[in-house]
Amino acid sequence: MHGRVKVKTTAQQEEEKRKEREKKLKAFVCARDSVLKKRSAGEHDEEALDLTQQLLSSNPDFATLWNYRREVLLHLETLREKDEVQKLYESELHFIEACLKVNPKSYGCWHHRSWVNTRLPQPDWTRELGLCDRCLSLDERNFHCWDYRRLVVKESGVSVEQELQFTDRLIGSNFSNYSSWHYRSTLLPQLRPQPVLDSAHNTSPSPSASPQSHSHRVCEEQLLKEYELAHNAFFTDPNDQSAWFYYRWLLGRAEREEMISCVYVSREGERVSVAFSKPVHAGSVGLMLVLDGQPQQVQWRNAHPRLRHSPVWLCDLPAGSISDTSNEHNLTIHWTDKHTHRDCALYTGCAESWCRDSATDQELFRSELSVEKSSVLQAELQSCNQLLDLEPQNKWCLLTIILLMRALDPLGHEKETLTHFQTLKEVDAMRSSYYSDLCSKFLIENTILKMEYAEVRVFSLSNKKLTTLCHLDQLLLVTHINLSSNQLQHLPPQFSMLQCLEVLEADDNAIESLEGLYHLPKLEEVSLKNNKICKVSDLETLATCTKLTRLDLRGNPVHKTDDLESELSLILPLVTALSL
Amino acid sequence: MADFESVDFLRERHVRFFQRCLYVLPERYAPYETSRLTIAFFSLSGLDVLGALDVVDRHSLIEWIYSLQILPTADQSNLQRCGFRGSSHIGVPYSSSKGPGAPHPYDSGHVTMTYTGLACLLILGDDLGRVDRAACVSGLRALQLEDGSFYAVPEGSENDMRFVYCAACICFMLDDWSGMDRQKTIDYIRRSTSFDFGIGQGAGLESHGGSTFCAVASLCMMGKLREVFSERELGRLRRWCVLRQQNGFQGRPNKPVDTCYSFWVGATLQLLDVFQYTNFEKNRNYILSTQDRLVGGFAKWPDSHPDPLHTYFGICGLSLMGEAGLQPVHAALNISLRASDSLRRLHECWRRSRT
Repeated sequence: MHGRVKVKTTAQQEEEKRKEREKKLKAFVCARDSVLKKRSAGEHDEEALDLTQQLLSSNPDFATLWNYRREVLLHLETLREKDEVQKLYESELHFIEACLKVNPKSYGCWHHRSWVNTRLPQPDWTRELGLCDRCLSLDERNFHCWDYRRLVVKESGVSVEQELQFTDRLIGSNFSNYSSWHYRSTLLPQLRPQPVLDSAHNTSPSPSASPQSHSHRVCEEQLLKEYELAHNAFFTDPNDQSAWFYYRWLLGRAEREEMISCVYVSREGERVSVAFSKPVHAGSVGLMLVLDGQPQQVQWRNAHPRLRHSPVWLCDLPAGSISDTSNEHNLTIHWTDKHTHRDCALYTGCAESWCRDSATDQELFRSELSVEKSSVLQAELQSCNQLLDLEPQNKWCLLTIILLMRALDPLGHEKETLTHFQTLKEVDAMRSSYYSDLCSKFLIENTILKMEYAEVRVFSLSNKKLTTLCHLDQLLLVTHINLSSNQLQHLPPQFSMLQCLEVLEADDNAIESLEGLYHLPKLEEVSLKNNKICKVSDLETLATCTKLTRLDLRGNPVHKTDDLESELSLILPLVTALSL
Repeated sequence: MADFESVDFLRERHVRFFQRCLYVLPERYAPYETSRLTIAFFSLSGLDVLGALDVVDRHSLIEWIYSLQILPTADQSNLQRCGFRGSSHIGVPYSSSKGPGAPHPYDSGHVTMTYTGLACLLILGDDLGRVDRAACVSGLRALQLEDGSFYAVPEGSENDMRFVYCAACICFMLDDWSGMDRQKTIDYIRRSTSFDFGIGQGAGLESHGGSTFCAVASLCMMGKLREVFSERELGRLRRWCVLRQQNGFQGRPNKPVDTCYSFWVGATLQLLDVFQYTNFEKNRNYILSTQDRLVGGFAKWPDSHPDPLHTYFGICGLSLMGEAGLQPVHAALNISLRASDSLRRLHECWRRSRT
């Protein structure tokens, strides 16, 4: 349905129009009935072509008619000589062009044109390219036309270089040509693809590769040329998003390698917790646990029943296998599907042990961008800062600078990043809550990095206007967490991944749901003052945390419940220090 | 007073607009004859979201929709062509699914019509008792290509993300995914993700708000959104979608905003859990600026003629923001929560009777 602007008419004009419409309707119905009758009768002739032509001219999305027309043409092919067939299909192309003039976005028309070119004894790809050029000059965003162009280019063997030059011309004449930038992103990897290596050292791309994965990246040399192209574009018009999106893609990089990021063992619980670099289904990835050289039969379970697909999985070792602290044990977790494993040694006298790559080593928060060439990124940051001096209110520039700073040195640039976020929220106020959410995520990431740098297991992020929690799979080893004075509303199921948590402080938030406080084996103390916990049933999940003895619920609406203390002592009998 | 009037939602006019669409369509809708059932869907689902289904004659509409079902013929030779038609345009004798299918060499289902036909029946409170579910699933299977996408009709047509969505809706409603090779569809979706992290109609095509919705909603209905996209990829998707808001929403960067994207992009953001970070006031003001105060309905732009599609998606776009007087909408299946709840109960019934 296409936008039609209103136009006022007189009564007489209305009457004339009505008569004309009736005439048209009669003709349409007549033609349609004739066509269907002919088709039922199996008549594949010239008259059929005429009739369908009439109908399709005004109604190009009648799929059955295109199919009938194709049947007729195929039949006529069998009756004609080759040069006549050529003429037949060429006139078909004229017909389609006429239809396209009426409706340049008709799926049926473009599809039929592709089909015709497969039947033409001698397709004229130059003419087809010309058609694309003309269509695009009328509407450069017509994606039907772009799709058709890709087909023409493929069939006729137009070189990637030529098409790149085509995009050069389009982009050169108008930087704001989003479709051209897009097309360029699909051409570039074909020109000089980056060699593909996956963890099994195969060189073929996986069938489900997306344009962001390795096989679609560009080699470094071409990359630098592209940076320049993007610079020219956004320095000329910093407010046009095309070049910025393209630039971000250029700066980007493949997903990091899949691996086991952390193994944690506890003697007391005889429990093993494993964190993966991405969510998995433990049952289907070929996980094997080997204890002191002996493979163990274990049942893997997720931290919370709602997390079927999770980065953290748990299992229990056979009773007595590691409980004696005078014994040393060696544990290996094999992720056979990805040909990787992780060892963890549990020493004599130690109640627990772990083995982990730090977030820094994993390039966890930096792997958005290509870190090997930090000199290049540094140069790009300088360019963007130059632009920011000229255009201090430009949101694209601010966003890109934030991205670059996080890639280069998230902790070192923390203060600047926060300032830029503040500016962003002012210049693009419509999206300020989205930017707040992004900022919360970055603060969490930085706190994780600081925690690792200080080699402590205490995570503190109070009074930071946090609206959501993320990266909880990175907090497997944390013993103390302080989330007080934020804007959190839930402790989601993912919170149950904090298997080592002993103390939780989350006062002065807006927490209603405690779903994630589920089977946390070491949790002893929980403080939830001044939140929004309303019902006793919201607290039932705490009963699964069998070491919980201290609970502070002051300042919650649940106070309105009658006999609160006795109800709580029923569902949480182990809690001895209760503050209401 | 003038200010208030210019931003109020004219419910009654929209109810009458949809009522008119259900009874008579102006001549300029002739090209949509073959998709008549989709217009019925916009109208019925629209009335449902407006809480005004009581104005329709449910019984005769249900009969009409069943008359559009292509049932297996007595000899079962047309199983791959079963489903629903868009209207009676092909000329098969009227029968509201009360006997075996009438054989006709050119009569076959259209994936969008099967989807909207089933949805309309649900909205009207029908229990799908006369739907030959197995036949619909056979018909659907015949439409899937090697690359994981779907044709609209078994004789062939263009193939893209729109039909992937229609197929997913059919599987979801019939509680039967055997008509779709989900892994192939997932691969098609991944290949259709573009350099700016939005999703296009197919591989190599520009990211587009409509196809992004179709892909994300399909994955949600499969229950596999977080399996297919990593948290980082979801973050990028969120960013692409959030940046579509100008006041209302645009479908692609550097294109004008259009009312229907308040749903396509809004619902996608809802499914990605970040819709609450968009600016509701500007979105609402834009949608209402395209409202036709005289005849009711919404158009893609202000001062343009309203049409059923934009009216429906404008209303759904408002519903996502919790507009007073509108029913909440199931963001993936795109029907009211009331209708999707009755679907859930229907599924429970089917499962019980299977055991």
